[in-house]
Formats: sequence, C-alpha cells, structure tokens
Amino acid sequence: MTSFVVGLFGDPESALAAAGSIQTANLGTPELMSPVPMEGVEEVLGEKKSVIKRFSLFGAIFGGVSGFLLAAITAVLYAHPTGGRPIITFPPYLIITYELTILFGIVFTVIGFFVSARLPNGLWTAWWKQDENRPYVPEAAVDKFAVSVSCASNENVQQAETILRTAGAEEVRDLTEEN
Amino acid sequence: MSFLDRITEGWRKNRKPGYYEEFDYHWAMTIDLDQCSGCGACVTACQAENNLPIVGEDAFTKGREIKWLRLEHYWEGEYPDVKLNVIPMMCQHCDSAPCETVCPVSATYHNQDGLNTQIYNRCIGTRSCAVYCPYEVRYFNYNDHAWESPLDQQLNPDVSVREKGVMEKCTFCIQRIRQGKDNAKDDGRRRVRDGEVQPACVQTCPSKAMVFGDRNDPKSQVSQSLNDPRAYKVLDELNTHSSVVYLKKVEAEG
Amino acid sequence: MDGELNQLKYTDIHNDVVRSIVETGPNYYIALITAFALTLICFFFPWFYQLYYGIGAAGMNHPGVWGTYLASFIFWIGLSHSGTLLSCVLHITNSSWRKAMYRSAEAMTLFSLVVAAIMVMVHVGRPWFIHWAAPYPNQMEMWPNFRSPLLFDVMAITTYLTGSTIFIYMGSIPDFAAVRDRTQGWRNTMYSLMSLGWRGTDTEWHRLHWAYTFLAVLIIPLAVSVHSIVSWDFAMSIVPALHQTIFAPYFVVGAIYSGTAGIVTVMFVLRKFMDFGQYITELHFDNLGKLLLVLSLLWTYINIVEVFTGFYSGASGEIEALNYRLFGFYAPLYWEMIAFCAIAPLLCAFKSFRTSFVPMLVLSIAINIGMYTERFLIVATSLSRQYLPDAWGLYVPSAVEISILLGTFALFTTLFLLFVKVFPSVSMYEVKETMESPKKSTPAASEGSPA
Repeated sequence: MTSFVVGLFGDPESALAAAGSIQTANLGTPELMSPVPMEGVEEVLGEKKSVIKRFSLFGAIFGGVSGFLLAAITAVLYAHPTGGRPIITFPPYLIITYELTILFGIVFTVIGFFVSARLPNGLWTAWWKQDENRPYVPEAAVDKFAVSVSCASNENVQQAETILRTAGAEEVRDLTEEN
Repeated sequence: MSFLDRITEGWRKNRKPGYYEEFDYHWAMTIDLDQCSGCGACVTACQAENNLPIVGEDAFTKGREIKWLRLEHYWEGEYPDVKLNVIPMMCQHCDSAPCETVCPVSATYHNQDGLNTQIYNRCIGTRSCAVYCPYEVRYFNYNDHAWESPLDQQLNPDVSVREKGVMEKCTFCIQRIRQGKDNAKDDGRRRVRDGEVQPACVQTCPSKAMVFGDRNDPKSQVSQSLNDPRAYKVLDELNTHSSVVYLKKVEAEG
Repeated sequence: MDGELNQLKYTDIHNDVVRSIVETGPNYYIALITAFALTLICFFFPWFYQLYYGIGAAGMNHPGVWGTYLASFIFWIGLSHSGTLLSCVLHITNSSWRKAMYRSAEAMTLFSLVVAAIMVMVHVGRPWFIHWAAPYPNQMEMWPNFRSPLLFDVMAITTYLTGSTIFIYMGSIPDFAAVRDRTQGWRNTMYSLMSLGWRGTDTEWHRLHWAYTFLAVLIIPLAVSVHSIVSWDFAMSIVPALHQTIFAPYFVVGAIYSGTAGIVTVMFVLRKFMDFGQYITELHFDNLGKLLLVLSLLWTYINIVEVFTGFYSGASGEIEALNYRLFGFYAPLYWEMIAFCAIAPLLCAFKSFRTSFVPMLVLSIAINIGMYTERFLIVATSLSRQYLPDAWGLYVPSAVEISILLGTFALFTTLFLLFVKVFPSVSMYEVKETMESPKKSTPAASEGSPA
C-alpha cells in the first residue's frame, strides 16, 4: 500500500530545494507539479530524455516516402496523359511528398508525446479522481508548486513530511489511496 | 496480375519521354482564313450536332452563351477602309494542353487519338481548366438547360446532354470519329479513310475552308495543308502545340 | 513585461479566464444567436438556392469563370496565417508578448481554414462529387490527378487543418486541466476528457515543451508552403496576368499581413467583450502595429515589382492586363486597395497611433477590406483580359455572392463565439510564465483553494 506525501509550496525555488533534499535523502524520485513549467528542474532531478524526436523523424520519413509513392503509384495504375507531361513528374510529386512529410511528422510527434508523457492516464471514468499511482492536487494547477513522493512505509512518510516542512511547505498532505 | 506487376508494367510502358506521342490517329484541322467568309454555318452545325444548349436571353446578356466554335471578329481601320478578320476559334486540342494538368479529378486528358477529351461525368466543376486555357474555348454550364419544343426533336442521340456544373468544349465531334472507327473495324480492320470522318463544322462549311484528317497519314489532305507556307498556329509562342492550324489570309497589296 | 501585469497574481489570471468560460451573460447569447441567424440567412440559404439553380445564381460568366468564391477562399486561407505566425514563429524566437494572444490567434487560424474549406464546396459546380478530389480507393479505380495545383491545395490544406487542430489542442491541455478543477457537471466531464488527465508534473511539462517546439518547427514551413500552393492555382496557368513567379511570395506576405490585421481585430473584441484588458495591453497593439508596418512595406514593394516588371517586359498581354487593372473598369477598386493597404498602414510608424485601440481596430478592418479587394482583383481582372481580345469580358458579383461573402464572416463569428466558451481563450499557463514567479512568502493562508 503506497501512500503519497505532497507538500505545497508558494514559490518554485523552495519546491525545487525540497525536491533536491528528498532525492538526496534517498526516499525515491519526487514528482513536481506546477501550473507553469519550472526552470532548473533538470539540474536538481537529473537530465530528462524524451523519445519524441524519434517519433517525429520516423513520421517525417514515413510521410515523405508514402507521399511520393501515393502520387507515383496512383499515376501509374491508371495512366492519364495530361498536357504532354510525363506520367511520373517530379515537381508536382515533390510538393505532395513535402506536404505529407509534414503531415505525418506532426501526427507522429503527437503520438510520441502521448506515449512519452503517458497520457491519457487513469481509467476512463476516473481521470479526475485520485488515481492510485498518479497523485494530484488541484492547487498545483492554480498557483502552488507541489512536490510529491511515494512512500512505502510509515517512517518514510514521517521523514518526507519533516523534509517538506523544513523546506518551507505551506501545507503537507498525506494522500493514501482510498479502499 | 499482382498489384506489384501492375505498377511495374505501368511504369515501364509510360516512362519513355514522348510516350504520349505514339498516337493511333493524330487528328488535326486546318482552317483557310482566305476561304472563310464568316458565314457562321459551322457554328450552327456545331450547335445542332452536339446538343449545345440555347441558354436564353437572360443568360446571354450575362455572357454565358455556349458556343463550342465561335467566330472571332477583328476589325481594322476606319470607315470606309474597314477590314474584317474572322477567325473561327474552337478547342485547339493542344498536345501540351495547359487545361489538362490542372483538373484535380482528371476529367480532361489526352486520349490515344491526340484529342483533348472532356469526361462530363467526372467533372466536378472547379472551372480551373477554363482559367488555364489561353484560347478561352471552354464553356461552363451555369444552369440546367431546356430545349423548348420543337428544338427537342433535333437533339442528337449520339451525344449526351450535360447537366449543370459541368465544363464542355469542342470534341472534334468525337462521336463521329468513334462511329468512323467502328465502321472501319466492321469493314475488316482497315484504317479510317481520309475524309470519311468529318466533324459537323467541316462538313457544313460552304466554302470548304476547313480540312480535317489524320496527320499521322502523310497522304491525307490535312497533312498537305499543314505544310502550306501560310500555315500558322494561334498563340504558338505559348508552346501549346495545337492541332488546329490556320492558313493566313492573303492580303491584296496596294 | 508590463508593470501592470506584474502586480497580478496567478490566481487573478486563473479566475479571470475560468470566469470567462463558465459565466455567461445574456449579451453572449444574443451575440451567438444573431451570428447563427445571420449565418443561416446570409450563407446557407443562398448556398442552397445555388445548389438547386446552379452556379448561374452567382455572377460568373464566360470568361469570368472564377469570382468572389475563390477570392473568399484565398482571403480566408490568408487570415489563417495569423495564428501560425504568432504562435509558431514568435515561439521559436522566444517572444514573450505573444503569450496572451496566441490562443485566440490559433483559433482564428482553425476557423478560417474551416470557412475556406466550405468556400471550396460553394465554388465548385458539382459539390456532391467533391470527394473525388480526395485520394481514396474506389470501385472506379480512379485516383485524383496529383499533377494538378488544385490537388496540391487539397493536400496542403488538409495538412494545415490537421496541424492547426493538433497544435491548438496540444497547447491547451494544461489549461483544460486547470479549468476542469473548477467546473462541475457536464463541463467537468468534457474537460476531464479533453485534458487527458494532465497533472502538471515536470515530466509532462518537459514532454509538452518538446512536442510543442517540434510542432511549431514543422508548422512554419507548412504555412509558407500552403499559401504558396494556393498562389500556384493561379501562377501555373499561362494567361498573362496570372503567370507570374512573384505570386508565391506575394500571397504569403499578403496572408501574413491580412492575418496580423485580423489578430488586431480579434484582440480588440476580446479586450472589450471578454474583459481581458489586463492581459491584452497597449504593448501588444504596439508590437502588432510594428509588424503591420513592416508587412505593409513588404507588400507595397511586391506590388511595385509586379507593376514594374509587367510594364518593363514589353509583353503585350501583360501590359494590357496591367493597364486594365490600374485604369480599367475595376480601377476604383485597385486604388482603394492601394490606399488601404499601402498608404493607411504608414500611420503605424507613429507610436501614438499604434497604442490607441480604436484607430488600430479601424486600420485593421481597412487592411482586410483592402486585402480582400486584392484577391478579388487578381481573379476578376486577370480573367477579363486574356490573350484573345474577342473573348474579353466583364464580371460583376451577384447578390447571392455578396450575401455568401457576408455569411462567411457570420459563420466565422459563430464558430469563434463557440470557441470562446469552450477553450480558455487566453493561455493561462503562458501568461503566468510571463508574470514574475511568486517569491518566498510569509506563511499566510493559501489562496486558490478548490471551489
């Protein structure tokens, strides 16, 4: 049974400091929730890598190839001579290729975003309720910066609460999953 | 054959530059402007043969008349030294037609006889072919038309009636070409003879100013006509490679 | 940033935007019903009449086969470049002043594209077959003609529409999450679904930032290509006034120009009717005014190039078309266009003009009228004077066309009014980013507890 301890801070620096202390105290990786993207998270919690760029690249290449093939193959399947132009002409087909490159690049970037950010999360009907592994405090969307830690045992809970309070949390909450 | 086979065969067949120039027949027309008197019989014949609509007085004043073959009048000089040049202008069936490339649904294309064909039931009416044609010989059906009695008795059963929203233009009377080729095939697979197939305008011209035939055949009358020193093509500088050639009017000196 | 903005707290912007969505007064309903009624009366009923009677209900003829429908189509695609410029280009350059406006600008983009797509259906002669222009396998084994500039159009606009929808949706996910917490009932369900359970964790922000930047980088060349492709509907022809290489830059510059003017109009409306006066300030109008000035000068330069090279060329068709455009039947429209788009925006050189709201509104509307005239002139004057003098003609729009043109504005307004109540029209998290972040405060009671 995991419990989540969440500390709410009024400003981002204290929240970052608290997150750093929690990490150095070996209580696990904290999660920071904020209404705006915070600066300096990577220095405290370590560098983040995302796979989105691979999705974008794959999407762009896939789009480019499929764009050209779409135009070229459909032209050859039912050959319609028009205007004395060749059946497979490069100027128009490169434009089709270009557009589909961008289209699939965009679509795959979005898919990559969903996959790497693990959205949508939770059950279909329970998205706004506390999910067991995804703690959430509504104040974090307005103006508070939240640090949440998942604790396996009660001592950890006490330790986390102490660290958060010393770092200057305005409020500390213990979110345990409801039975 | 499999899908991949279809693609490779299509590619091999069409990849040579000039693939489209291997025409079966290559229909061409010459119009001798010296012989043309501007009588307009060709225009009437075209209307009768191809079920051209009578658009009505209202639409005519708005500029929506449909005349696949129109007579262009160019006046020069002041009275009494006025000169009139009459040029019958119809679809030039360009080999490098600007109108064919722009149709988004391929409703117009160059067929195996060298004709620029319009497929009425594929046309969605974007009218971009009319914009691209420098000769402005494409006409759009702005509404449905009615042939009031007794005009409805004169409709040609070989030609369709176009509904509103569809582009149309001169087809070199493709229904007659088709009939001619069918007759030739029935007769034992011979070629269509020179002069056997004539569009309505060529057939009707009283001064025999128009000559129609297959320019692939070096012995046809139209091939001789095309080599006339007076021959020229309208808007030739645009490199449309039209199939209609005009023979310049001979001007008297002095 | 503005000193004024720095005195606001996060909760202020949060409350303001949520209030703009959740609280609806009678004025809004009156506006919505009026806009919808006007759309029906001015757009849909004349269109249905035209579907029954044929394109003859419009004023087009031979040779003027293209008319206001196509001019409107290009105008609305042009307006759609507003959001792209503001959102994507200024995002890449890290401009902070765009943050309050870009959500509504992106909405403008999306709805302009929707209206433009509907204009295509109004324009073609047999719209019930327009699906043939889409590449789908069918029993006829027929595919559209990919060599056609109109097909490039289909591909480009589909891509742009998809891209804009995705872009505006992605940027709004955090704001949907924020609004979700403050609403109940059907709104709560809707925003929960739309926000996909966003929690605002550092991982999620990091991913969003990267995805958003990639999308912005992809959409900028797309926007440039879309309007170039639209210009090639004209430029790929061989008739004199249309076959010009300057068309692609001309249209792109014109699109960004008219889009920016459209943003000024929409920002004025938002300020006034949605009470966003603290977030959309004189600074924004100042910067937009500078942008308008630069674009106006660029547009004027391109027009001069067109006229100069036309007359210099000595080509008879070209000179005839230019003479007709400058001094022929449509000359009053041409000079009105020059006055509104080349001369009037020079007022934006004065800061006092740029920072006054109502003059900027009037100027932006004038610019868009001028830009519409430009598109109309390109269509009408080029078709009236082509190579063969016997085929010259005149085109005058009919009542049905003018009504449909006004109807497109009503349709756009209806869609935008619906947008304002569903999406947060000012991006909350980005405006919060531009404010000073909260400093370490004395232990006071926390504000912003959930409703």
